[in-house]
Amino acid sequence: MSIQQLLNGVSLGSVYALIAVGFALVFNILKFSNFAHGGVMTLTAYIGLAASLFFSAWLSGVSLFAATLLSAALAGALVGIVLERMAFRRIRNNNSPVIYYFISSITMGILMENIVTIFASSTFYSYPKFFELTVVNIAHVNIALTDLLMLVFSSVSLILLLWVLYRTKIGLAIRALSFDVNTANLMGMDSNRVVMATFIAAGILGGIAGVFLGINYTLYPQLGQLIVKGFVASVIGGLGSITGAMIGAVLLGVLEVTLIGAVGAGIAPVFVFIVMLVFLLVRPRGISGVIVQEKA
Amino acid sequence: MEYIIAVLTFTGITVIGVLGSYLVTGLTGLFSFGQAAFFSVGAYTSVMLVKNLEVPFLLAVPAAMAVGLLAGFLVGYPTVRLRRDYISLVTFGFGEAIIALLNNSVNLTGGAMGLSGIPQYTNFTVVWASVAVCLALVVGYKYSKYGRQCLALRADELAAKAMGINVNRIKLVTFLFAAAMTSYAGVLYAFYTTYVEPGAFGWIVSAEWIIIVFVGGINSLTGSVFATILLTGLPEMLRFASEWRIAVYCVIVLLIINYRPIGIFGEFELTFKWLRQLGKKGVKAS
Repeated sequence: MSIQQLLNGVSLGSVYALIAVGFALVFNILKFSNFAHGGVMTLTAYIGLAASLFFSAWLSGVSLFAATLLSAALAGALVGIVLERMAFRRIRNNNSPVIYYFISSITMGILMENIVTIFASSTFYSYPKFFELTVVNIAHVNIALTDLLMLVFSSVSLILLLWVLYRTKIGLAIRALSFDVNTANLMGMDSNRVVMATFIAAGILGGIAGVFLGINYTLYPQLGQLIVKGFVASVIGGLGSITGAMIGAVLLGVLEVTLIGAVGAGIAPVFVFIVMLVFLLVRPRGISGVIVQEKA
Repeated sequence: MEYIIAVLTFTGITVIGVLGSYLVTGLTGLFSFGQAAFFSVGAYTSVMLVKNLEVPFLLAVPAAMAVGLLAGFLVGYPTVRLRRDYISLVTFGFGEAIIALLNNSVNLTGGAMGLSGIPQYTNFTVVWASVAVCLALVVGYKYSKYGRQCLALRADELAAKAMGINVNRIKLVTFLFAAAMTSYAGVLYAFYTTYVEPGAFGWIVSAEWIIIVFVGGINSLTGSVFATILLTGLPEMLRFASEWRIAVYCVIVLLIINYRPIGIFGEFELTFKWLRQLGKKGVKAS
């Protein structure tokens, strides 16, 4: 495998890491797989597109790109708040079984996808071209500028997230809540606020991921189904582990690029699926080795 | 009239699909986003057998179900041992993988163009007779030892284990039963529409089935059947707001989950006993 492919794989993996981490954050606290995350990505990707068209009157190049990314992230945070209020607050207060979180998140995901389909119809859109330059040459290796940007921005946002999680008070609260909700409540923590913060963080990551996915592929209402990549990455890394999700995502990106080179893009999902199945058979707890038990 | 019969036939096929989802989701509490993929496995296997190998239709049906079972085993075996989240996401991946496979083996499946010119072997009567048989099977299953064990493990897996229920085995058996039944629905579908294409079997279809189960009431088989007829039959006939249909579904489901978590029908089942009692009450009232 050439360095070229490795780099492409890593930058693809960095976007998957954004998805996987947004997914793992919510999993950590509420212990269910948040399918609505795909819908968040779709919605924010379209909002990002609208923003880029809106701002293109005044800005161009890097500043336009930054504005798009920023507005998508903000939109993601907002969508996160609405999502938590509409779909999960009441269920949480009712102490409903996990199944209900699950069905709620799926429904919200489908709902968001459908809202996008209704307003944007099923046509494909693509982001305006942000840069003149398309390929950068670093030490005799050509790398597409979008790939490079994906790598840089994803890494920066993930490092920021880790900083928030491990160095700030709200991060401490999130980690405490993911460890034990009841005890955290007894210690006087406002769990509603912390869950809200988690959804906001997941929404921001989803927004950034949505824009990158939109740039990398085209924009279509089913874009959110790439959430499955985030899940595969979480399985490889270990469900619920944030660093594990990052490692798994990068591995998945490299694996996918290699597979696409070897067997073609169309059939690659089949092999990715087989790899995931084998992983579940051999080491279900993933690389990080944390396993989340069904609650007794 | 012909149109109404066509709609009713499709509703019947959907009822069988929803019954599969009821087994997996309603009884066992697992979420399978791959039910529609089993549907496509059944449809494509039977069509390829009949069209390419000229196998008689009646032989192709069990063969398609067998292939569905095999696929169910491949997906189910590694995943039933794990947390429930895995099964939904693995079946999701399975659905996508099947669509990718169908789209890419062009010389066998016709790729994205699909296969057309399938002889029409099934009709309204066959479909609704199959619905009756499947319904009887599912009712039998629900009240059998297996069904009760399913309910037990849905409520509390750890407690079910402690009571000596082989949780993994029951999950796998139910999953396989549903897979075989859904493949059969796929066969009916293919030989009714005379045309199959990979796009018709996405995960949205599976999700729609699960939503139907929830709207009807997760504990009620009657609810599932009625919700299917209500949610698929009616909009087809009235054709109102076809764009908004799914969005409206979603809002209904969110409302139900938040304000009436047991679904429209709750625990209610339509039984002969209930009908008799209703008859007596009716006589008394008059």
